[in-house]
Amino acid sequence: MKQTLMGNDAIAWGLIHANVDMVSGYPGTPSSEILTEVQKIRNRLNLDVYAEWGTNEKVGFEVAYAGAIAGKRTCATMKQVGLNVASDPLMSASYIGNLGGFLLIAADDPGFHSSQTEQDSRVFAKFARIPVLDPATPQDAYDLTKYGVELSEEFQIPVMLRPVMRVCHAREIIEMDAETNFLPNKGEFQRNVPRWGAVPRKDRFPQGKEQLKRMDTIAQYNWDNLLKPEFDKCKGSKTLIIAGGTGYGFALETLRDLNLEADVVKVLMPYPLPTELMREKFKAYDKVLVVEEPYPCIEEQIAAPNVYGKNTNSIHKIDEMSKEELLKAFQTIGLYEGENIYATPPSLDFEVEPRPPALCPGCPHRDVYYAITKVFKKKKAIYPSDIGCYTLALAQGAIDSILCMGASISMASGFSISDPDKTVVATIGDGTFFHSGIPPLLNAIYQDHKFILVILDNSTTAMTGRQTTAAREKKSIDIKKIVEGMGVDCMEHQYSYEMQDNVDFFRKVKDVHKTATGPTVVVVREFCILDRERAPEFVPGIFAKVDAELCVACDQCTTIYKCPPMSYNYDGVIEIDPFLCAGCGGCLDVVCPTDAFVQDEDYLKRGN
Amino acid sequence: MQYQIVIAGFGGQGVVFLVKVLAICAGNRNIAFLGTENHGMSQRGGSVSCDIKIGDFTNPVIDKNQADLMVALEQNEGLRNLPFLKLDGTLVTNAKDKDKYPKLPFKGFAKIDAFKKAENGEFPIQGLNVYMLGFALINDETFPFSVQEVKDAITQMNAKVAEQNIIILDQAMKDAQEIK
Repeated sequence: MKQTLMGNDAIAWGLIHANVDMVSGYPGTPSSEILTEVQKIRNRLNLDVYAEWGTNEKVGFEVAYAGAIAGKRTCATMKQVGLNVASDPLMSASYIGNLGGFLLIAADDPGFHSSQTEQDSRVFAKFARIPVLDPATPQDAYDLTKYGVELSEEFQIPVMLRPVMRVCHAREIIEMDAETNFLPNKGEFQRNVPRWGAVPRKDRFPQGKEQLKRMDTIAQYNWDNLLKPEFDKCKGSKTLIIAGGTGYGFALETLRDLNLEADVVKVLMPYPLPTELMREKFKAYDKVLVVEEPYPCIEEQIAAPNVYGKNTNSIHKIDEMSKEELLKAFQTIGLYEGENIYATPPSLDFEVEPRPPALCPGCPHRDVYYAITKVFKKKKAIYPSDIGCYTLALAQGAIDSILCMGASISMASGFSISDPDKTVVATIGDGTFFHSGIPPLLNAIYQDHKFILVILDNSTTAMTGRQTTAAREKKSIDIKKIVEGMGVDCMEHQYSYEMQDNVDFFRKVKDVHKTATGPTVVVVREFCILDRERAPEFVPGIFAKVDAELCVACDQCTTIYKCPPMSYNYDGVIEIDPFLCAGCGGCLDVVCPTDAFVQDEDYLKRGN
Repeated sequence: MQYQIVIAGFGGQGVVFLVKVLAICAGNRNIAFLGTENHGMSQRGGSVSCDIKIGDFTNPVIDKNQADLMVALEQNEGLRNLPFLKLDGTLVTNAKDKDKYPKLPFKGFAKIDAFKKAENGEFPIQGLNVYMLGFALINDETFPFSVQEVKDAITQMNAKVAEQNIIILDQAMKDAQEIK
């Protein structure tokens, strides 16, 4: 059956068609739509499938993995940096293995589009000694999802699927199973303490030896089933291209655009590779070029004197694949001598002001950060923050450091110890607090680290598409109670569109902090402006305009408040773009030193 | 057929919607295509550009100097993405009348101040994406799909708002004819 699907939707269908009935994980671009799509398919077809977000990737991994130990076919989804969090269970799971198929999906982001690192999950799979599959297109993603689940069940070991963003968020017509005959495995845990109890060393050592043997077996399997058929198709050109994942599609198009001839071998399983069998084949070629992203994972396994790639400086080493980079690589290895057909004509190189992502118009985070910087002056404060929409408050000068999920709190501890003369004001969202904010807060409380922690509770995982959080799903889970349960007070504030209220609240926080001996914890109840369920009850519908007579072009609103509808017009006066204003009323009070923002009474009358 | 289209705009303008409409057009005629979309971080009002390559392709990304058509929902986002457009391609852009627009070397070029039209109440701003698609239908002589195919795809996309979207599409085509 043909169906137009995005890569992540194709993966979701692959899971259902592979009879996977337990999916867990944590949202993160570009992986997030996989689990949501499984939920949609489940609801539409009325299937009995567990598909729920875990509180973090480690939790998600372990929930799904236990299902596979009990014999079910299961899957954990996450982005590549999420795999860092889940790496602990992964390393042990690769020794212990599973009975039902267990597919670990780690979506990579070459080019840093939505991630703080460009790390390559294939290398992680190699580190953990589990097989990894690398789809080139949404069709591959569908096929390899099914293949990976089968492979995992056959070899009783986790298998990784590593789609990159250009697969997850690519769209094409997919050929998929016409029928959904959903027949999941029955779960039945079988006690086997030597196998499932990962303790040193007696039972681990033989498992380690098995692991090595298993990788040799799977490398041979890779050759017989995936690689040999590819080599058999080769026509005996002088150049061989070994292409992993998206590199395959880029290589084919570049060769075609440039009218070049080369044999191209598609590597669907970049680890483990039958390295000696491959090197034997390389002897027939002058040069072998490895095209893969982002790290030289294949290249390092098959290194040989005529193999070229990132480690020989023959192709780009950072940033995502492009045909221009491939053209340059072809020039470097002497395959192509013509001009760069992918160059920008000089007449088209315009300097255009960048348009970075920003907090949405009407987002309460903006006002809260504004109030924080108003009360805790920059010179005497350090602002560690965390990963989420609110990271965008960087543009307001309200954030000094971001490291990884949950680090705002532990780094606040570290800063409070190392630079005690400054007030440390850490910010973290509700989703990130649940993900990995609780252990560092406990640490700070028991060691009496003096800083202020502001938990921004908008009741959703907003950045990745408003997935549900623990507290949203179950009202009895409450951040304030969690904090109080750890033995400290939790000050609570309901965000107000009247800025003075927010400023007054943080003045109170400042007073409390003065005499505190440990962390001062605050929860600010907010909403997400994009949250159709909750936002309407909070947004007052007060639209703003600028009184041009009063605007003195002081830059306050464009540098510290930073609301997207505000920009200078041709007369050098701030203007509000009526198409962008969300009617939150946040700028009417305090924000402008000359009170130039005034209510636009006619806004709705003008048909907006 | 091989036809590469860049849709440029910023988060919230409905760039991805247009990619989906074009994907449905191709799917309905059983023509292969590959598209790539922006999700996540870039939704937050930042620059968004999506590619769709119709015909026999093996990767979804449009490289520089390759696109046959670019539809820009905002002028700066159009200018930012110019390197992807071939010199014999067509640029269709939303651009403010009062701004000085640079002279460009493309074979096909058409601009309209769609923001002003929305401000004057000629169409609802939420339909800017569809409006610019309609404007492109008239101004790109080699556009791969017929008006009817586009309307069918819009209906398949979301039947509830299809009627209003088709009114906007017709309006844009009429405006484009008048300027031409």
